[in-house]
Formats: sequence, structure tokens, C-alpha cells
Amino acid sequence: MILGCWVRSCVSVLLCLSLLPGEPVPTLSKDEQRVLARRNWWSFQKVVRPEVPPLAAHPVDAFLLEKIQAKSWAFAKPLPKEALLRRLTLDLTGLPPAADEIQAFLEDSSVTAYEKVVDRLMASPAYGERWALKWLDVVRYADTNGFELDAERTHAWRYRDYVIESFNRNKPYDQFLKEQIAGDELYPGNKDALVATGFLRAGPEHVVGGNQDLELNRQEALVEMTAGVSGAFLGLTLNCARCHNHKFDPILQADYYRLQAVFGATKGDEISIASKAEEERYAHVQQAHAAKLEPIKKAITEIEKPHRERLRAEKRTRLEPHLLAALNKPKEERSPEEKILAKNAEDQSNPAWDEVLAQLNPEERERRTGLRQQMHAINLDEPEPAAKAYAVAPMDKPETTYILKVGDHNSKLDPVGPGVPLVLANGFQIPEAAHGRRAALAEWLASPEHPLTARVMVNRIWQLRMGAGIVRTPNDYGTLGERPTHPQLLNWLAAEFVAQGWQVKAIDKLILMSEAYRQSAELDETKLREDPENKLYARAFRRRLEGEALRDNVLAVSGMLNPKRGGPPIKTPIEPEVYDLIFTEYEADNLWPLPKDRSEMYRRSIYLLNKRTVRLPMMANFDQPDTMTSCPVRPVSTHALQSLSMINSDFMQQQSKAFSQRLQGMPAEERVHAAHQLTLGRPARPVELQLAREFLAQGGTWNDYLLALMNRNEFLYLP
Amino acid sequence: MNFFTSPEPHIPAVRTRRDILRAAAHGFGALALQGLLAKEGYAAPPRVNPLAPREPHFPSKVKSVIFLFMVGGPGQMDTFDPKPALEKYAGQQLPDGIQSAPSQFTKGDEPILPSPWKFKQHGQSGMWVSELMPHLAECVDDICFVRSFTTDSVVHAPAMYQVHSGRILMGFPSMGAWVTYGLGSESDNLPSYVVMPQPEGTPEGGTPCWGAGFLPAVHQGTVFRSGPNPIMHLKPPAGVTPEQQRRTLDLLQKMNELDTHPLDSEMAARISAYELAFKMQSAAPEAVDFASETEATRRMYGLHQDRTREFGSRLLLSRRLVERGVRFIQVYSGGGPVSIQWDAHKDLKQNHEKMCGLTDQPIAALLKDLKARGLLDSTLVIWGSEFGRLPTSQSGNGRDHNRHGFTMWFAGGGVKGGQAIGQTDDFGLYTVGEGYTMRDFHATILRLLGLDQHKLWYLHNGRHEKLTDFGGKVIDQVLA
Repeated sequence: MILGCWVRSCVSVLLCLSLLPGEPVPTLSKDEQRVLARRNWWSFQKVVRPEVPPLAAHPVDAFLLEKIQAKSWAFAKPLPKEALLRRLTLDLTGLPPAADEIQAFLEDSSVTAYEKVVDRLMASPAYGERWALKWLDVVRYADTNGFELDAERTHAWRYRDYVIESFNRNKPYDQFLKEQIAGDELYPGNKDALVATGFLRAGPEHVVGGNQDLELNRQEALVEMTAGVSGAFLGLTLNCARCHNHKFDPILQADYYRLQAVFGATKGDEISIASKAEEERYAHVQQAHAAKLEPIKKAITEIEKPHRERLRAEKRTRLEPHLLAALNKPKEERSPEEKILAKNAEDQSNPAWDEVLAQLNPEERERRTGLRQQMHAINLDEPEPAAKAYAVAPMDKPETTYILKVGDHNSKLDPVGPGVPLVLANGFQIPEAAHGRRAALAEWLASPEHPLTARVMVNRIWQLRMGAGIVRTPNDYGTLGERPTHPQLLNWLAAEFVAQGWQVKAIDKLILMSEAYRQSAELDETKLREDPENKLYARAFRRRLEGEALRDNVLAVSGMLNPKRGGPPIKTPIEPEVYDLIFTEYEADNLWPLPKDRSEMYRRSIYLLNKRTVRLPMMANFDQPDTMTSCPVRPVSTHALQSLSMINSDFMQQQSKAFSQRLQGMPAEERVHAAHQLTLGRPARPVELQLAREFLAQGGTWNDYLLALMNRNEFLYLP
Repeated sequence: MNFFTSPEPHIPAVRTRRDILRAAAHGFGALALQGLLAKEGYAAPPRVNPLAPREPHFPSKVKSVIFLFMVGGPGQMDTFDPKPALEKYAGQQLPDGIQSAPSQFTKGDEPILPSPWKFKQHGQSGMWVSELMPHLAECVDDICFVRSFTTDSVVHAPAMYQVHSGRILMGFPSMGAWVTYGLGSESDNLPSYVVMPQPEGTPEGGTPCWGAGFLPAVHQGTVFRSGPNPIMHLKPPAGVTPEQQRRTLDLLQKMNELDTHPLDSEMAARISAYELAFKMQSAAPEAVDFASETEATRRMYGLHQDRTREFGSRLLLSRRLVERGVRFIQVYSGGGPVSIQWDAHKDLKQNHEKMCGLTDQPIAALLKDLKARGLLDSTLVIWGSEFGRLPTSQSGNGRDHNRHGFTMWFAGGGVKGGQAIGQTDDFGLYTVGEGYTMRDFHATILRLLGLDQHKLWYLHNGRHEKLTDFGGKVIDQVLA
């Protein structure tokens, strides 16, 4: 029995996992012994498929009813058909059901009517778009680096599209996991698998000029990779052990750095996945593009030049004499000291861009502005670069990984080799060789025997559909995390997931077909009093649309939605107040170019540029995560600024106008019904017709009426 | 009611009808619903107003904070920490035995640059202030200078994040977000956390400097801009009259009451939020309207002269927001082009004279005005930056960033003025004796507000996240 992990040979993954743990051997440190003594924590135990209680035909219902019936309760009443279709469609696609879909469902009285809709929606491309929103929260995906420069990552979006496609194609989750952690190592030559490793670079990265602490930068990259894997797949808060042994969980500081060492031969890279011909074509069109800009740039320089020269000359007259003397000396004659002085003299007399602009006369200023505008217009046609994967690449030589005192890269303690947390290791080894470390980690995680991987993912599926996870802390299966509300159900789902070949759609459908999913969210005083957190699932959760889904729904209702899929991220109009908050030390005249094809601005929210330092108000107000750390559960906050943006933003005003135009020409009552049908998926009730009549009679406009409808609780919340 | 230890500590566990009414944002619809909600025996915690005011952990008179942030790093040896030795060593390298400090652009072996400004002692307390800040010099008896702060990065954005949120990384809640999370809001018609950036541009750290991080979005800072409608989306677009908007809101509230089950507090909160939004539409323009301010007050803040008008207006507005119960106000001097930051990599003299010229009189006016109105006891004013500057030169006449020892100051509520705590070496390069980290900075601010740094936490991804992470030391001498 090998427990100490000190054997250097690479043992087959599955063989290792099948080894039985023995008693701690005396060579283990006290810390290690303590860790191993805590292997009995529930989430570290192998999944054992439990018997389904004989309480219902559907296993999910059977497990839930055990506790519900113990209270002499039952599920809440089933949701009426109309509402059920609305919930299901919003849930699976993030978009409302179309009128003909509603009608077809209402008219279908067969027993399979519901299942047919589930199948139809799961086959829709919007299914993957919906799932991607959830997954990208977990991996903290954004299209930019973050921090002050916050540059766009030109090729990162391919990872976003990869995620969407993976869910749409029902890619087995073990493969999905392996591609993201080690696609390059396990599937060489496979472009999608290479793109998938963008997962390891999804987090923020500090890119800035000046003197660099390369070791610090490297450590930050490793911290991000380690956090990404442990949060998304392992469901453990390993980062808590970066500075010291985990305070609550049996995770050693060494465990953290062992996992970090798995990435000790991995670096970020942008790798071409274009053909030779595509690359050549790009080089060609890019050259033509640059040639178009060239004369304009030159003309701008010409306008500025005399002013810049004059300013420089003026500044030189104010230089201290010894600086000027150094500057006036021919370069080759300057002593080392004079070289520094000359450089200082140049720095001091070099005018800043805004000083130069301040010198321009009105005519020059106008001409220059015109030229800048021409330049920006041409740049809208900037050719799309030849395809690259925003991915990782192996390093020639693995670096030595050290345990760092309080996480400080300047305080190195003992070196460690790659490995997995001791408490889960069971003797499992990761090879020391540079190549294959990540592959070994991925295989270990994707093993059907792994106690966490399947549990963590089925819990995410459950959380997405049911409103809260069986484990309510979906990234934390440690002692600070919550215990599962239904441990047996979690085990059963995890076992079923593996048995079904890790198919997300299989588990997803299983949940959707349960009675539990189809029950009403209506509040019941007794249940609310005795089970305020709904831990028994004896009613459905009230769920609000996320900011992204809200925007998509508004666009769907107004008729403006552009359903085009995939591709580079899109900029939509932002408020001047938001534009002003984009950081730049330079000219702020083209920081947010809108797409030439304006219909692009009405694409689904998943395709909007997610810029770490520029949050779109509608998203930020509705709790879109900031993409800096993994977000397994979005908070739901309600506040006045949210209300203000929902009634006064240009976007909402514009959309209510478009909505109004969509309904134009109908008789009033028909229009009210159609408006309800589009926003709420049902005709207006008599009291609503009455409200509409009163509002319009008092001089209210259709725009305002529709704006109010799109602000309704019923519109913002899933039935 | 101990909400700090409840599973969702930001949501007060409201239990009685009176609590509910107090916590509600007093919307008419909300009240009607709250009536229904407060039925006998109903004990579940409804989410009504996450910003309802809360009692601190310790008694404290401090109700509001004004954080004046000087973007780019003012030189401590040019403002509040006189270093006569720099004269002696002018043009020379740091003497042997003093370790040079590499920074973002310089190696630290550049010649020493003495301060172009003279220092004098001021007030009863005899605090040193350079001639750059003649107005502030009159207020030193109310100010507690701490001359030995440090940050961990010589790069602007990470250092700014550390000052604002305790970490050099983006994504952690800012101090203002923590404070409103801990104390709620005293105002029921203005945002609890207001941010006023430099009109020319945003500070280098950008919006995360007032972000909520992983705290609920309700705690993020709200940017106030100049003009009659300071808040984004505050007013309906042109062509929509207030009456028209009121009518639309009335319709919406009626619709929402149709949608809202009497037990559903989350829905009720949305109804309250629209009412609050409507109240904000008149309260915010009223707050930014200086019509009721006297000529003397305007002159005091420098609204009559070009140089000080802009910053003075933001500080006068800060006082008005304090009067209206805003909890945390963050004002930036500097942002956008380098020419309008304190980031004097070259031409220190021109830069600091300009930046001090913009801010000195308004800041002194703020302190004097708060004091005259009896508000200084309940308002904590903080002045600081992401780091200071090096004693060595850059480009011959500027300075690079120094994170190893720099000055920030506190005034007002709970602060013992007229003293300087901590020190740097003869060159103003490194701290000597006790140095203070940003954790200490934050622990002290929380303490002044009556908050215990260890009890103010939020469970995020398996960690009890706190502003001070694993804890800072409260700088006791700062406390009165």
C-alpha cells in the first residue's frame, strides 16, 4: 500500500484509485495523519447507488416525497399547462415560448405532450446558450483581461462557443472536463479540445507596462488555474490553503501547491488553428486595411507636428543648463551620466498628447476630428484575424513548485511535486514529467469512482432547474459548505449520471420529467413557516430572470431579437455615464465602437462583450457576477437603481417603442391581449383589461403601457 | 437580532410587524402588502429592504464617511512628512545601508530629489504641512496623520484595489460596500454609497474601486455626476413628463400587486423599490441643487474661482449628502489623462502645484464647514492614495511610486486630531518602527464606525470573507 505518495513511477490512474487505503504509516507527518483521519467526510466517500424508496414512479419524486410525506405534506399543486410551458421554455432556452408553441402545447392532450416539449427544447440551440450562461459564471469567463488596461482577448470567445456547442451536442461530461483541463495533451491535433483549454485562462490576468515581477505574474497565473479547477470540478475551496493549512477542511497547504504543480509546465498561449491559406489571406487583407489607414494617420501627424515641435522647443528652453548641455551633445560623445541626463531632458521636453491638442486652432481641430472619425469608420471593417485558440501550451521544462509562506512568492518553503489533495489521493500519483500532468489530473477527476466529480455536476444541473442545489454551496463540499438536503438523492443522481455515460441531457431531462419540477411556486403559509428555505422542495422556488435573460426576453417581446449564434463578442450601446468610466489615459474618442451592422446589437446577451471593468448597468444591477471569482450561485438583489434603469434607460424606452410598433394597427382590446400574450404567454384577464382601459383613458401612451408590462413581477419571474 | 451570523447575513431577520414597517421603504403599496404579510404567527424572514439601517457592534457616533482619494500618489515628502535630509543628499544616490526601492519605472538608484516646497508647523498641535496646502494647514488640529502606511504593489490599479478592498486583486467588495452591508442606509431616498470620480476620467482601478464584489449588487457604489440629474437613468427621457411617469408607475404598481402573493416578500421588495426610485427622482436633484447655500459657503469651497470650482462643488455636495443620511461618499481627485492625476513621474513641481491648487481650499472648507455645522463628530473624513512617491527622481524632476511608507490622514468622527502617528526614515522611503498595512487601515475605519472587523463577514465560496481578510490591527492612537 502506497500512501505517502512518494513513489515516483507513474501508476495507472484506475489502478491507483482501486487501491484500498491502509492505516496511516508512521512516516507521515502529524498534519498528514490528521488529514487522513478525516477521510470519512461525507463528500469524500465513494458514491453508492441507493435503493429508490417505493413512493413514486419517478425516482426524483420518490426521494423527495420521503421527507415531504414525513411532514404529512404533498408537492404543491401542478402548474397549469400554460404556465408550465412558460417555465420550461424560459428555463431551457432563456427565451419565452412563441405563440404557436403555446397553442400546440395547449391543444396536445396526449400523455407525452410535456415530454415532447422537453425534447424539442433540449434540441434547440438556445439550450446550450442557456447552459453556457451558468457554466461561464462558474469558470468566471470574460472577454477581457481585467485590471487597468483590461484589453480584449481577441480569440477568447471560441471557448464560449465551445461551451455552448458542448451542451448542445450533449458531450459526455467526463470528456468535457478532460478537454478543458488537458485537451491539448489528451486529444492532440483536435482544435476544439485545444480551444477548450481556454478554461485554464478564463480568469483575470494583470497585464501592465513598466518593470515586471515575473515570478509574481507567474504565481498569479498559477493561482487562477488552480482556483479554476478546484472550484469548477472538485467542489473544494482549495485556495483557502494557499497561505496555510485549510482551517476547516482536511486540506494541507502542501496539497494546494501540489495541485498548483500540476500546472508547473503549462503556460498561456495563443495557438493558430487556421490553415496556411487562411493565415495568408488574413495577412493580405490586413495589409490592405493598414494601407487604408496609413494616409489618414499621416495627415493627423502632419497637423500635430508643428505644435509638438514648438512645444518641445519651448520646453527645452526651460531645461536646466546641464540637461540641455547633455542633450545638445552628439549621442556618441555622451558619457554614461550624460546619457541619463539626455534621456531626462527628452522626457522633460516631450509634450503630452493633451498638451499638443490644446494648441490646435479650431480649423485644425475640426480637420483632425474628421480624420479620426474616418479612421474609426475604416476600423469598423478591420478584418477578423485568422483563427487562434486562446489556450495553453506545454513548457519545455517544468518549473519547480514550492510551498510559499503565506502565499508570498518571495518566501519559498519546501519544493513539492504535482499531486492531488492527500485526503482524496488514495495513493494516486501524477507523473513528474513535464508532459501529461494535466492529463493525469483530468483522468483522475473524470474517473467514475471519483467521489466529487459527478456529485458536483449533478448538483449544478439540479440547481439550474430546481432553483437551489441539493448542496446549497455548489463550489464547496467541505465542512463550511452546506450538507446536502437529500444525500441519497444526490448519490442516486450521481450514480445515474455515470451510468448514463455522463450525459448532462439525461440527468437534465430526468429532473424536468419529475412531478417536483412541475409543481407550482405559489407560497403556502405552513410550508413557508416550517420550511422557509424550501429544503424539502415541497414547492417550486420563485426564480427571477438573470439580467442577461431579462434583456433577451425584452428583445424577444419587442421583436428585435437577433438570434444569430456564435462569433466574436458584440458591443451594444452604453450610457455616456458608463462610457466615461472606461479607463484611459489617452484620447477617449473611440473606446466603444458599435458594430456596423446595427442588428448585431440585438444579439442574445451571451454574445455581448463581457468586459471586466465595464459592466453593463442592466446586467450589473441584476447581479451579473463580476467574473473575478467563480460564481456558483448568483445573489438576487432588489433595489431602486434597478427600477430606475428598467423604466428610464434608453434600452427599455427604445424597446417599449419597438414593442408598441409591433402591435400597431390592432384594435385596442386585441392589442392588450396580444401584449399579454407576448410578455406573459397568456391573454389579459378582465381586471387587466380594466387597468389598461383606465390607463389609456387617462391619456397614458401605449409605449408606457408596454413599458409597465415589461416591468411586471410576472414578466421578471419564472412561473 | 444578530444578522451577522445568520446564513444570509446581509438580510435582516425581520420578525415583528413593527420591524417590518421600519424596514420597509415606506412605499404605499409596500405598506398595504406589509399589512397582509404581518399576519399573526408568520415568522419567516421576508426580504424587505436590504439597506435598512442597522446597529453597529460597538457604540459609535460616526454615521457617515467621506473618503477623499488622490489618484496617482501624492509625494509624502512634499506634503505632510518633511524630510530635510533630502536637501543634504540632493543629486546623490541613497547612502550606503539604505536599500534602494525598485518601482514600476525606476530602479531606485536614481539621484535624490529634494522637495521643492518648504514645510512649516501649524496649529496648536504644531503639525507639519508643506506650503502646497495653506488652507488645510489651518485644520491640522482636527487631523490625525498616519505617516507609515504601506501597500503591496507599485502599480496603480492593484494598489488602488488594496486601498479600496483590502486585496491587490479585482473582485473583492470595496470598503463602502462593506460599510453599507454592515450598517445599511440612513437615507430612504438616496443611494447609501455615492461615488464622485474626476469628470476628466476614471481612476486607473476603474469601477471595481467601488464595486460590491461578491456582495449583492445593492451594495455597489452609485456614481454621481455633475448636473441636475446626478444619477444614471434618474429621469425619464425627454418628452416624458413627471406626471406621465407617475401614471406609468401607478399602473405598474397595480399590476405588481396583482402578481404578488401576500406572503411573497421578494415581490413586495420590488414594489418598494419602484416607490423608492420615484422618491429618488426628486430627492437627488434636490441634493445637488446649491440654491439654498449662502454666498459665504460657496466662496469657502471655492465655487467662485475656476481653479477650485469643480472639486469644491463635489465636496459641497458631499456635505449635503452627509446631511441627507448618505452612508459612504467616495470622492476622487484625479483620473483620466496623466495631466490630471497626482502621478508626477516628471515635473513634480508643476503637477503637485496644480493638483493641490484644485483641492486644498475645498478640502479645508469641507472640514471647517462640517465642524461649524456640528457634523464633524459624526462624519469620518479620510484622505489618501494608493501609495506615495520615492525620494529618488525620475526623468530628473519627477518621482516614481513608493509603496513602502506614505501618509494618509483621518479627521472627524471618533478621531483624535492634532497628531502624527508612525514615521518613515530620513528619506521618506521606508517606514521606521510601526508600519501599517491596508488591513490596519480598514480595521481602524471599521472600528471608528463601530464595526468589529471579525464579525463583518460574508460567506463566499467556502470562506468567511472579510474586509480585513485574516485581520488587521486597529491603530488605537487614531481613536479619540
